[in-house]
Amino acid sequence: MSSKKKKHKRHGKQQTRAHAPAAKINQALQPEKAKNPPARQPAAGNRSAAAARIDWFSNLNQETEHTVMTRNVSKIYHLGEETVHALDDVSVTIDRGEYISIMGPSGSGKTTLFNIVGALLKPNEGNVFIDEVDVAQLDANELAWLRCRKIGYIFQSYNIVKVFTALENVTLPMLFAGVPPDEAQDRAINILERVGLGDRILHTPKELSGGQQQRVAIARAFANRPAIILADEPTANLDLHTGEEIIHLMKEMNREQGVTVICATHDHKMLDISDRIIWMEDGRVKKIANRDEVKIDIAEMREK
Amino acid sequence: MIRKTSQAEWEIGELALKPGLVLSMAFSSLKIRLTRTFLTVLTITTASGFMMYLLTMPRSDDPVDRDGWLLMLGLCLLVCAAGVMNTMLMSVAQRYREIGTMKCLGALDSFVLFSVIAESAIIGAVGSIAGIILGLLITTLIGAAEYGSGMFSYLRFDGMTVKILIVICVGMSLTAMGASIPAWIASKMPPMDAMRGEK
Ligand SMILES: Nc1ncnc2c1ncn2[C@@H]1O[C@H](COP(=O)(O)OP(=O)(O)OP(=O)(O)O)[C@@H](O)[C@H]1O
Ligand SMILES: [Mg+2]
Repeated sequence: MSSKKKKHKRHGKQQTRAHAPAAKINQALQPEKAKNPPARQPAAGNRSAAAARIDWFSNLNQETEHTVMTRNVSKIYHLGEETVHALDDVSVTIDRGEYISIMGPSGSGKTTLFNIVGALLKPNEGNVFIDEVDVAQLDANELAWLRCRKIGYIFQSYNIVKVFTALENVTLPMLFAGVPPDEAQDRAINILERVGLGDRILHTPKELSGGQQQRVAIARAFANRPAIILADEPTANLDLHTGEEIIHLMKEMNREQGVTVICATHDHKMLDISDRIIWMEDGRVKKIANRDEVKIDIAEMREK
Repeated sequence: MIRKTSQAEWEIGELALKPGLVLSMAFSSLKIRLTRTFLTVLTITTASGFMMYLLTMPRSDDPVDRDGWLLMLGLCLLVCAAGVMNTMLMSVAQRYREIGTMKCLGALDSFVLFSVIAESAIIGAVGSIAGIILGLLITTLIGAAEYGSGMFSYLRFDGMTVKILIVICVGMSLTAMGASIPAWIASKMPPMDAMRGEK
């Protein structure tokens, strides 16, 4: 079993930048790289090997962790004669622990980007790296593992299994992951308490309000302690107040667990808590606003 | 922003198929659609009851008569298989989003495949066992009416183990055949569609 497992070592920026099917090649390069740190300054021929080594290691430590990285991702749909560029050359880098909001008009490609980042859809061009591993090189079982353990999904229409109780819904991904049933149940109860549903664990979706269902979905998404949470308009079906509660819950979980949250939303009120905002238009990234710019942008928008 | 790398490397794992989870999934799916489950079980019961009846009643001397019965049995089994397939297709179509969602949570294709097959295998097993009881009952009643107390010399209640096994095998393979296409369709359902669109 263990021989089947692949080890994916994190690699330096230089390698990941040199995109394309390079990830496989990178793996092949790993042992060599460990022995010979890349000579980043070929001109400094007089520097000792030891110095170069230190230089390389310090470089490694300073590197931020890129949880999600897309490189020149394009997705094209063919509708009869027409071709739709749902995504057109999208390159974004998202670091560990960030809370990212994605905004853009309807049809700008937000959902498509989510599907591709979430390894649910293959891009026509470009590469997606999750924790610096190229998703394209994974087989079906590894993809299922990635979806199970690394990524938590929160949907606009909740998508909690209708015939299961809240508890069963939250337990399910843990059972898929191979957590023993008893432990899974204990953990599920803990998480449900955390999202404020401690008194409703045995209710089915029919007996829960939209906001409560979305809380179940959040609990479920966090069940396997993922690295990334993808939320596609999680508040679109909720009233403003409930929506705000949900967003704040996600923000709290993001802070507590250091999970990277990527959230598509149309609601400008939700942007205050974002670390960065990615604006999309016609399948392209129009602008990425950093935390300090975020407030200004919102102020501008409110004036309009 | 400078963050230290907490994990220098990480492993992509493998997910294993858990038979227990497959079974409980199949059972809960049957429980939820109890009425339809019951009806499908009933068709299997009828077909295998008919089969058991033919296996235990005295053989007809008239070859034309015998062929007629066999033809009827064949048709009955065919209709039954189609019925199972219809039920399973509906069960799968109804769960399109659910299956897509479960794949987002880490359900393997094989998990979906086997839970659909297990679902119909349970229908097959329950239906054929009920059918065996029904068939024997009918044979006994008709035999009693026709031959009275001497009926056991006419009725073919010999080699019952083999006969029971035949009926169960036919019943189970019938449902397996009926379920194979829906199960395949379900296992190939894409996970992404759960993400898109409304209910
Ligand atoms: N399966 C598909 N087949 C054909 N075209 C598609 C498909 N999915 C998306 N598209 C097209 O791709 C473009 C981007 O769609 P997407 O759903 O990503 O937009 P969005 O930003 O999520 O919009 P919204 O805010 O309304 O959810 C749209 O023009 C859409 O029509
Ligand atoms: Mg969308």
